[in-house]
Amino acid sequence: MKKTILAIFAILVLVMAGYTVLHFTKEPSTKVSTVTVYVSEDQVFSEPILKDFEKDTGIKFRAVYDTEEAKSTGAMNRLIAEKDNPQADVYWANEPIRAEVLKQKGISESYFSPNARDIPARFKDPDGYWTGFSARARVLVVNNHVKDVPQSILAYTDPRWKGKSVITNPLFGTTTSHIAALFVLWGDKRAKAFMNAMKQNRTAISTNNGESADFVTAGQYDFSLVDSDDAVNRIRQGKSVKMVYPDQGENDTGCFIVPNATVLIKGGRHPKAARKLIDYLLSRETERKLAFADCAQIPLHPGVEIPSELKPIDKIKTMQINYADVAKKMVEIQPFLKTWMGL
Amino acid sequence: MAKRAFLTLIVVLLLFLGILPVLSMLVKSLVVQGNFSLASYGSVLTSGRQWTLMWHSAALSSMVTLLTLVIGTPLGILLAESDMPFRRFFTILFVIPLLLPPYFMAVSWFDLLGRQGLLAQIAGPVATRITSDLLFGLPGCVLVLFSVFLPIPMLLTMVFLGTINPRLQEAGRLVSDWKGILKSITVPLILPGIMLSAMLVFILAFGEFSVPNFLRYDVFPVESFTQFSAFYDFKAATAAAVPLVVVTLLLMFAESVFLRENTYQIRPSQEAVHSPRIELGSHLKWLLSLVTALAFIIVIVPVLVLAVQSAHTEAYIQALDYAGKSLLRSLAYAFIAATLLVSLGFFTGYLVQKKALWCWRFVDSSLLFLFALPSTVIGIGLISLWNTRWTNFVYATPAIIIIGYLAKYTALTSRISVTGLAQVPPSMEEAAQVAGAGWFRRIFYILIPLAGPTLLAGWLVGYIFSLRDTGITMLVYPPGHETLPVRIFTLMANGSPQLVAALCILMIAAILVPGGLLAALATRMKYKVNS
Amino acid sequence: MKIVELDSVSKSYGNERALDKISLGIEQGERIVILGPSGCGKTTIMRLVAGFIPPDSGIVSIAGKIVSRDGKIIVPPRKRGVGMVFQDLALWPHMSVKANIEFGLKAKGFGKPERQKMIRDMLELVGMLEYMDRKPAELSGGQQQRIALARALVLEPKVLLMDEPLSSLDLDLNIRLRKEIIRLHDKLGFTMLYVTHDRDEATDIATRIITMKQGRIDLS
Repeated sequence: MKKTILAIFAILVLVMAGYTVLHFTKEPSTKVSTVTVYVSEDQVFSEPILKDFEKDTGIKFRAVYDTEEAKSTGAMNRLIAEKDNPQADVYWANEPIRAEVLKQKGISESYFSPNARDIPARFKDPDGYWTGFSARARVLVVNNHVKDVPQSILAYTDPRWKGKSVITNPLFGTTTSHIAALFVLWGDKRAKAFMNAMKQNRTAISTNNGESADFVTAGQYDFSLVDSDDAVNRIRQGKSVKMVYPDQGENDTGCFIVPNATVLIKGGRHPKAARKLIDYLLSRETERKLAFADCAQIPLHPGVEIPSELKPIDKIKTMQINYADVAKKMVEIQPFLKTWMGL
Repeated sequence: MAKRAFLTLIVVLLLFLGILPVLSMLVKSLVVQGNFSLASYGSVLTSGRQWTLMWHSAALSSMVTLLTLVIGTPLGILLAESDMPFRRFFTILFVIPLLLPPYFMAVSWFDLLGRQGLLAQIAGPVATRITSDLLFGLPGCVLVLFSVFLPIPMLLTMVFLGTINPRLQEAGRLVSDWKGILKSITVPLILPGIMLSAMLVFILAFGEFSVPNFLRYDVFPVESFTQFSAFYDFKAATAAAVPLVVVTLLLMFAESVFLRENTYQIRPSQEAVHSPRIELGSHLKWLLSLVTALAFIIVIVPVLVLAVQSAHTEAYIQALDYAGKSLLRSLAYAFIAATLLVSLGFFTGYLVQKKALWCWRFVDSSLLFLFALPSTVIGIGLISLWNTRWTNFVYATPAIIIIGYLAKYTALTSRISVTGLAQVPPSMEEAAQVAGAGWFRRIFYILIPLAGPTLLAGWLVGYIFSLRDTGITMLVYPPGHETLPVRIFTLMANGSPQLVAALCILMIAAILVPGGLLAALATRMKYKVNS
Repeated sequence: MKIVELDSVSKSYGNERALDKISLGIEQGERIVILGPSGCGKTTIMRLVAGFIPPDSGIVSIAGKIVSRDGKIIVPPRKRGVGMVFQDLALWPHMSVKANIEFGLKAKGFGKPERQKMIRDMLELVGMLEYMDRKPAELSGGQQQRIALARALVLEPKVLLMDEPLSSLDLDLNIRLRKEIIRLHDKLGFTMLYVTHDRDEATDIATRIITMKQGRIDLS
C-alpha cells in the first residue's frame, strides 16, 4: 500500500516536472513574434487590452502584472533589478512618476509613437521616454446626503468638514503623487501648512482609494479624494455618491491628472514588437475601450467617444505640472509624509 | 567519504540557491560609491520611530505566538490523541486559513466585520462599528494572524506526538489521570516540537507585512517595504530588513540554549501498539463545543464569507477561466518545490543534527536567516545573481521560482527534519553501519523510513508554503507564467469581489485534495513506523 | 479471593484473534509466569489487566471487582492498583530517577515529606539510592531495570505486571535480576504476573507457569 502510494506520488512529480519542461521547450519564442510587457495598470483592465492586441496583431504577449495598491513591489523592482539583462520589452505604467524614475535610472529608451501626436504635450515626456494615455483624474467622491458639496481639495482644511473627510494613506500610490504635485505647485511651506491643517481637521486615513470611496459610499465620511475610476465605479453600481472635479474655478489650481504611460525598455529582446504594442496602447481605440471599461479612464486623444459619467479631457481644468518635478519631489517629501503619518 | 562529499555538495547548492544572492545584496548595502559605508543603515534603529515600529512588531508577534501555542498545542493533542469525534475533519478545517496568503484572510475578515461588511447587514451598524474598530489595529492583526498560524503548532504537535513511544504515556496512565500525564510526560516530550512551532510562528508573524498594513497597524517590515515600493532603493531596503534577521538569530540562539537540555531520543516501540486514546468522558461535551466554536469563528466564518460572496455559478465559471493554467502551474510548482524542499531539508537537517560538517551552524543559521528575510530582498538578490545571458535557461523559466522557494523555505523542512532525526537513536544508523551498509543505503533504508512521518509533515508544510507564496513568485516568475495566488493578488485590485472569492475557494479546494491524500498516507506510515 | 481473574475473555485485532475465551485466576502473593512464543497473546493479557484495552467479550476482575467487561473499561488503569514494568521499561527520559518514581506518588496525592521517604526507601531497596538525580539515559541497562521496578512498586500495587522485563539484558545480569525480583517479592509480598518467552527464566521465577499458544492457554 505504502509503495503504491509512493509510486503514484513519484509519477505525479514526474508528470508535473515533465509538463513544465515540455511547456517551456516548446515555447516558440523565436518563430512567432512575441512581446514581454510588465504592467502596473490593474490586471482586470489591462489584460483584455493585451488579449485584443494579441488577436489583432498576431503578436503573442507575456505579461508580469503588478498591483498598484500597497501590497506588492513587483514590476518596478523587477525592471530595475533586471537592468543588465532586461527581460521586459515594454512597461505599462499606471502613472508617469514611475516612468520618470525609469528614465532617471537609465532603464528606458526614447520612442515617439506616431499614434501619440494628438496627445497633449503636457502628458508626454519631451524626450520621448514615456507617453501618457488614458488618464485618471484625482476627484472628490461625495456622498449624496451632503448638501453643500465641496468643490475644492481645500475642503479638507475647512472646519465645516472637521472629522468628516477621509484620505488615502499618502505614503502609497496616486495620493503620494498628488501630494507631491501640491508641493511642487504651492512650494513646501504652503503645502506643509495644508497637510498639517488637514490633520488638525481630523481627516481620517484609509489604506487605499477603493476603501476611501467605500467609506464615503457608506456615509461614514462625507467626501474623499480618490481616483476617478473609484468614483465612477461606485456611481455605476448605483451607490449614492457623486463625483466632483475639484478646483475648476478660473483662478483655481485645476484637477490633478494621472495618465497611464507606455515605456520602451532599453535593450529589450523584441524591439519591433515592443513598438507595435506601444502604438497599440496609444491608439484611440484602446483609449475608447479603457473609457468604457470599469476603470473609466479619460482619453487623452481629443474626440474619443466616452461614457456619460466622464467629462472629456478638454472640458476639465487640469493642473499644469511637470511630472518629472513631481517624481523628484516625491522622494524629497517622504520623511515629511512619514512624520505626518505619525510614523 | 560519500557522506562528506554529498553533504558538501548540498552546502554548495545552498550557497548558490539562497546565500550568495542575499549576500550580494548585503554587501551592496554596505558599499556606497565603492567604499565601505554604513550610510544605508543610518536610519535603521537610530530614530525613535524605528524603535516604536520594532516594539509594535515584537508585541504583535509575541501575542500571536503565545496565543497560537496556548491554543494550538492542546488542540493538536486533542485532535491527535483523544477520542473526540470528527478529528480528521477538524484537522483539515483548521489548516484551511494557512492555505491562503494571509492577506486574503484579512480581506475576508474585513468583508465580514468592516463597516459595510456582512455583519453590518445582520447586526446593524452600531455592532459593526465596534467590531470594525477592533479589527483595525492590534487586536485585528492578532486575530487574523492567529487564525492563519494556528495550524503550525497544531500540526507540529500532532506530528511530534506520533513520534512518542506510547509506552511512556501508558506508564503514566497506571498512576495518573490524563491531566497529569499531559503536563508531566507528553508536553515535556514534545517540547522540541512546540519550541520549533513557536519560533516559526514568531518569525512569520514578525515578517508579516500585508496583514498589518491592511489593518493599519504599523510594524517594522513597513520600512523595508516602502524603501522598495516608493524609492526602489535596494540598499536602504536591505538595510532596513537586517534587524528582522538579527531578531531571528537571537531567537535561534535562545532556542539552541534551551533545547540543549531538552531533546530526548525516543525509541520506537517494538510492537504494534496504538498510542492510547485520551478518553474525554464527561469533558467531551464542552471540549467538543469549544473546538467547534473555535473552528466556526476562525475558519468557517471567513470561508463562508468567501463562499457567500462567490455564490454564483458564473463567478466560478469565470474563476476557472481566469485561473486557467495558473492553477495547474501552481500545483505543479508546489509539488516539485515541496519534493525538493523536503529532500534538501532532509540533508541539511541531517547535516545540522549530526553536526556532520564543520559548517553546520552556518548552514542552520543561514537557512533561518533566509526564512526571516523579506521575500523582496531574496527576490531581488535572485534576480541580480541569475538574470544574465548565460543563465537565462534558469531565470526565464519556472526553475527560478523553484529556486526562490528553496531559498526561502528550506529552513522549514530542514528544521522539521532536525527535530525528526533527533528522535531516531544513533544506534539505528550505527547498527546499519556495522551491518556494512554504506551511507546512502543507511539514509534511504534506515533514517528516511524512521523519520518518515516528520518528513511527510515537512513535505506538506513545504507544499503549503510554496503554494501560497506571493512574495517571491511576484518578483521572479517568468512573464506570462504567474501562479494562482499571484493572479488572485493582481486581480484583487478592482477585480469583482465575487470573482476573487471564487478564486480563493478554488485555491482552497486545489490544496485540500492532494493535502488530504497526503494526510491519509501520513497516518498509514505513522502506524507502520510505530509497529 | 483471587487478586486477578479473567473470565472467558476474548480479544481480536482486526481479523487476528489474540485471545480466545481465556479464563485465568491469580491468587494473592502468587508469581505467575505466562510462557509462550511471541504473538501468542501474552502481552494482550497484560494490557487487559492494566486496562489499556478492553476485552471484546468476557470479564476482567481485580480484587473481586469487575474492572472491564464486554468491550468496556469500567475502572481506568490508574484506579486499578496495578504496577507495570514494560519490555522497553518506558522510563520517562526527561525526568530524573527521583522524578520518575515521584510522579505516581504526586498523582496519588502524597505529601512531600511522605514522598521523600517512600522514594528513599524504595531506592534503598533496589540499591539505587545514590543514583537519585541521574537521568535514565545516564544509567546502565540493569540500573534502568531496577528503577523501572522501583517506579512500579513504590505505590504498593495489588498486582505487578512484568512484560518481558529482562529480555534485553545479558544472561548474567538477567539471572542476577531474577533473584532480585524474587527477593523483592518475598520482602513485599505483592502478586506478580510475569510474561516471558524464556523457559529458564520462567521456571526460575514462577510459583506457577501458564503456557500459551495462539491465544489459548495450552497448559497450566
